[in-house]
Amino acid sequence: MTDTIATNESILVIGGGISGMTAALEAAECGKQVILVEKTPSLGGRVSQLYKYFPKLCHPTCGMEINSRRIKANKNLRVITMAEVDEITGNAGNYNVSITKQPRYINDNCTACGECANAVEAKFDNEHNYNMDKRKGAYLPFNMAYPQRYVLDSGIIGTDDADKAKAACRYDAVDLDMQKETVQLNVGAVIWATGWQPFDAANIQPYGYDRYDNVITSVEFERMMDDFGPTGGKILRPSDNKEAKNIAFIQCAGSRDRNYLKHCSRICCMASLKQTTYVREQYADDGKATIYYIDIRAIDRFEDFYAKVQADTNVSFIKSKVASITEERGTGNPVLHGVNTEGYDRYDNAHDLVVLAVGMQPSVDREKFPVEVITNEHGFIERPEGSTGMFAAGCASDALDVNRAVQNATASALRAIQVVNRFSKTEV
Amino acid sequence: MGNLNTTMIEKYRNSFLHEVEANVEEGEWVKMCMQCGVCSGSCPLGPHWDHPPQELFMMIRAGKREEVLTSSSMWMCTSCYNCIVRCPRELPITHIMHGLAHYAKRLGLVPENQQTEKFAQLFWDNLTNTGRVNELKLGLKLYFMNGFGEGIKMSLKMQDVGLNMLKTGRMSPFELLGGHSIKDKTGFHAMLQKAKELEDAKIAKHGA
Amino acid sequence: MADTKIGAYICKGCGLGERLDTDKLESIASGEGKAAICRQEEFLCQQSTVDKIQADIDNEGINRVVIGACSRRAKFEAFNFESTCVSRVNLREGVIWVRPDTEEAKEATQEMAEDYIRMGCTEVKFMSPPSASQEQSVNKHLLVVGGGITGMTSAIEASKAGYQVSIIEKTSQLGGVAGQLHRKVPSRMPYASPQDNGIDDLNNQISANSNITVYLNSTTTKTSGAPGRFSVDITTESGSTTTENFGAIIQASGFTPYDANKLPEFAYGKTPDVVDQLGLEKLAQEANGTPIKRPSDGKVVENVMFIQCAGQRSDKEDHLSYCSGHCCSTSIKQAMYFKESNPNCDAAVLYTDLRTPGAGGEDFYRSAQRKGVTFTKGIAKEVVAGDNQHTIKFTDLILNDEVDLAVDMVVLATGMLPNSGVNIDAPPAEEGSVEIPVESILNLDYRQGKDMPQLVHGFTDSHFICFPYETRRTGIYTAGPVRRPMDINQAIDDATGAAMKAIQAIENSALGKAAHPRSGDLSFPSFRMEGCTQCKRCTVECPFGAINEDEKGYPSYNESRCRRCGTCMGACPVRVISFENYSVDSVGQQIKAVNVPIPDEDDENAVAKPRILTLACENDAYPALDMAGMNRIQHSAYVRIIPVRCLGSVNTIWVTDALNSGYDGVVLLGCQKGENYQCHFVKGSEIAHYRMSKVNDTLTTLNLEKERVATYEVAITDIQRIPQLIDDMAKTIEDIGTSPLKF
Repeated sequence: MTDTIATNESILVIGGGISGMTAALEAAECGKQVILVEKTPSLGGRVSQLYKYFPKLCHPTCGMEINSRRIKANKNLRVITMAEVDEITGNAGNYNVSITKQPRYINDNCTACGECANAVEAKFDNEHNYNMDKRKGAYLPFNMAYPQRYVLDSGIIGTDDADKAKAACRYDAVDLDMQKETVQLNVGAVIWATGWQPFDAANIQPYGYDRYDNVITSVEFERMMDDFGPTGGKILRPSDNKEAKNIAFIQCAGSRDRNYLKHCSRICCMASLKQTTYVREQYADDGKATIYYIDIRAIDRFEDFYAKVQADTNVSFIKSKVASITEERGTGNPVLHGVNTEGYDRYDNAHDLVVLAVGMQPSVDREKFPVEVITNEHGFIERPEGSTGMFAAGCASDALDVNRAVQNATASALRAIQVVNRFSKTEV
Repeated sequence: MGNLNTTMIEKYRNSFLHEVEANVEEGEWVKMCMQCGVCSGSCPLGPHWDHPPQELFMMIRAGKREEVLTSSSMWMCTSCYNCIVRCPRELPITHIMHGLAHYAKRLGLVPENQQTEKFAQLFWDNLTNTGRVNELKLGLKLYFMNGFGEGIKMSLKMQDVGLNMLKTGRMSPFELLGGHSIKDKTGFHAMLQKAKELEDAKIAKHGA
Repeated sequence: MADTKIGAYICKGCGLGERLDTDKLESIASGEGKAAICRQEEFLCQQSTVDKIQADIDNEGINRVVIGACSRRAKFEAFNFESTCVSRVNLREGVIWVRPDTEEAKEATQEMAEDYIRMGCTEVKFMSPPSASQEQSVNKHLLVVGGGITGMTSAIEASKAGYQVSIIEKTSQLGGVAGQLHRKVPSRMPYASPQDNGIDDLNNQISANSNITVYLNSTTTKTSGAPGRFSVDITTESGSTTTENFGAIIQASGFTPYDANKLPEFAYGKTPDVVDQLGLEKLAQEANGTPIKRPSDGKVVENVMFIQCAGQRSDKEDHLSYCSGHCCSTSIKQAMYFKESNPNCDAAVLYTDLRTPGAGGEDFYRSAQRKGVTFTKGIAKEVVAGDNQHTIKFTDLILNDEVDLAVDMVVLATGMLPNSGVNIDAPPAEEGSVEIPVESILNLDYRQGKDMPQLVHGFTDSHFICFPYETRRTGIYTAGPVRRPMDINQAIDDATGAAMKAIQAIENSALGKAAHPRSGDLSFPSFRMEGCTQCKRCTVECPFGAINEDEKGYPSYNESRCRRCGTCMGACPVRVISFENYSVDSVGQQIKAVNVPIPDEDDENAVAKPRILTLACENDAYPALDMAGMNRIQHSAYVRIIPVRCLGSVNTIWVTDALNSGYDGVVLLGCQKGENYQCHFVKGSEIAHYRMSKVNDTLTTLNLEKERVATYEVAITDIQRIPQLIDDMAKTIEDIGTSPLKF
């Protein structure tokens, strides 16, 4: 894909999560030339790591399937994976962009037959499962991965595994000499769909995420529900692989807190409410969930979902920011300490497992954009003002749920189209 | 100095909040609390509080002047600073607790027989007397704070510690005879007097 | 069909060459399949081989291509030949990857592959390349219904992209509710204080923009046509009507504030000092920066309490069960009005959950606290109006206290009701009951009803998280609080997003291309009029209201309203509806092409070889089957799977034909139906379930067991379950025996 043709009538979308895919597709399906650049080997972003969506409890992979089909069928859209933007110069209507593509070591010939993965032995942390398990050095990142093409981990280059992978491939798809390359593009508008990352829970010292096996994050909990995930779709305690039936959810783990993220991450209340249904789905009446919260922010019709969860007698709510977690000797049960501020009750509650509803942090540090971008103090890109040709889409602009991120990305596509239409000769 | 018989009408009015903001050290932070309770949960003395910090803040907002100022709760604070470190809203809770205690003391609203308050007064008196802390006198006063019998009991309990301190030269028995003081004791007392005047004026001005 | 020339290409890569007798497959393709060119390739998807196929198309007149290789989901770009029909015979994920590599499995696996080759060759024979009907040309004129901040934003944003816009506004001025606001919640950092409501600026932009036309005091009295050629009657208050043509429509009809008169417990209506949020905006506007005075006696307000969730988040009769989303921020903003104009005023907010999500929201909350606004977690029970002061009775949930608080003023944070027009799905009114007439917003001249279908609580939102603009009326997009309760900042984004989709609808309808989710599809249903019995099933069942009826009751299609799902094709009892590349025959003939072995009755040792037909939704079930293959999850070799656009497109003739041809079982795999339906064609799965319940009669007539037909709701994640469902059917057949209808 090095022959990417781009002109100042093209739109560059940076980030291939659901917001980037949406912005790219909406513009491309409007007849615009679009280049979509993604840092990792596949599209999908955080959404591809979710089990279900709130409030509908449908599967994100369904939408991913539609979006990948749209991408495959659209000749206006070019996807460049394993690539990052190094530099952007110029102005609205005429940006020069320099992109670095990391070597995948697998070329277009790949048929995704999987023989290379069978051949190699070394294992690496599996980033798709937040390192909860290992994957091989030759791998397809996940079942739905698009492009459907394997990747060689750079860690096997120069080892026997690399030669084994090459020998196993009958289609000359393994190219061990592949080098990092730079691609230059000229585009009219840029959309930052760089998304979010989960806040590093190890920073919240009193919760002991780094010390206690049975304290995990909400994003890791999602991976447990995947049949092809690290626990084969079972909710298990990391310490002893026992079924975790009595689960605590701690809200604002990193959010609304000047020590960590000052902003509210918006999605975490609904995410935990949703995850209580996972507990019930798996363990029926034996499944118990307790949500420790400051305010339940289930706005608009999400309230219906909140009401439904509240009606579940196996789910309880405690208004409290948990003060600390200790580990019960012998059982490995995490014990939560704190005060229920509704009426002042102290508690020391033992649970099988604790899920920290971790906050949403912009993926790109506000200091590290390769061009001047106006961000607020939380690192989110501010709404466009003046005659800029650069726009944020999705969680690069604010802590948003999927629906709002897609809505925002659709809006960004139009903002980008306005710029290229203004600067192109397009008769309208 | 404000009517302690807070009337119903004043409840949930912000007059007490304003009073706290004006007179209590760091009192202007009280309004920033969002009732998460992490301070109350993080406090090592937590179970001893009738009203933990976050509840005190709500009571202040609710205008519960007498309940707050006559409470023993803020006297429980041992300045470990756990609450300040954990507060998501940056409230200097330790300082507010001391500020509340101090304000209650000035208004004469400390609950009877409040141990921390008694010690604080002993310490203050001891210190302001010569400008230096006389540890021997302070120790003895502290032991006998709750009566002669208690004092003897306490002294016997602590005698090994005392003897060791004497042996190692960490405490001098001659301190009992007055002890050493700072150079300009008169100037020091004048300074304290001036500070008190300023404080009183402030309370008279902003008091409820 | 004389002009079809089939090229069949069989791949030997990815283990296909080792596992299958590809010579046999080739001979079937060229023999039974009548392929003019047939080749086996070691590595079919490599560029040089693909180029050879292209050369066959260009030079040898090949116009139907059969690719016997991997799934249609793999290597799509390689085999995407322009203006040629392609059938992807799924030998890899669909055959060798779901079968064990053993000697005893070999025969059945080979039979699977052979049948799939037969099916692929048959399918292309009954396909032709779709082309646009050119039913509409490009019309770059957009209609925006509603002139509030959402509609104004949509109009401005669309015009910035070079499109013409007309705004129809019912009242005498633009601005809507936002125009009645003293100030708005900030949309830019530092998210600390209320900002100008922005309406003046939008008004100036609109009046300076020659591409935007505004119709005030006007409503849409009739909307007909389709994307690219909507015809809309615009009627003014005085009754004069003009008709205009538009390419697409945005409905930004906004919301109506909840009627606070329904809250007598909060003394609304009993004293003018109890107001709703909009009422307070008016007072703030009047005060214009000076201390706000209370309406009853003009006294400067010294203390005010905001009651959040008034008549909302409540299951009481006449209350709203949902949260309106904006009201916490709005009360915070209004409390700031009091604090900023009179720092001595006590402004308190009584809430149960303070909802200020996102980055700016929490900043705004903190800013209010810094300004001295106090917040109390509690539940208001009653407001008692007094002569001088009013008393709020509430429970303080933190202090666990019952409180009576005297205040000068009370503000009720009430909710939003969408201006959605007529609820087209409402059950017919009971006889004798008094029906309150609802004014339609769009007055659609569609068989399915006058207005946009509603999702929940009257809001016209999309059903899909991933696709907030997946409208059920192609080319018409709702935006702003009519779609979902939302604040101004979200409404502005939503207005822009909807404008994007409307522009897209304009561009694609002109090219004859379908809208999402089959975006770009040029195929289009046509019907054979001479066979039509005017039964109207297609017009009734079309989930998108794409089909009208002409005077004689014949269906009249509107290409650009159509989403190409095939529900009409599935509905047609006389099978006269078809797409160029997807028809009753293109699937039906595949079913018939399968070799159904006739048991040798003389041979007692003969192993039964049943046949199971599976029709799988191409969005969820088929990808799940693919992924089952990728993970080598096996299923019965007796099944023959055909992907369908939607289970709603399944015509029962396929099922009865299969059974008549000796198939032993039929499994239908669709998506979740019901309230939280997952079908992107709305009711496909539901309709299929209903239709299949009727197949029972056929089964009885044929003297077959009911168990032979099973319909399931599956999800794309059912990678392990779906092979199991197929195996369950194989087991059922084993139990009840093979079909007697094999001859």
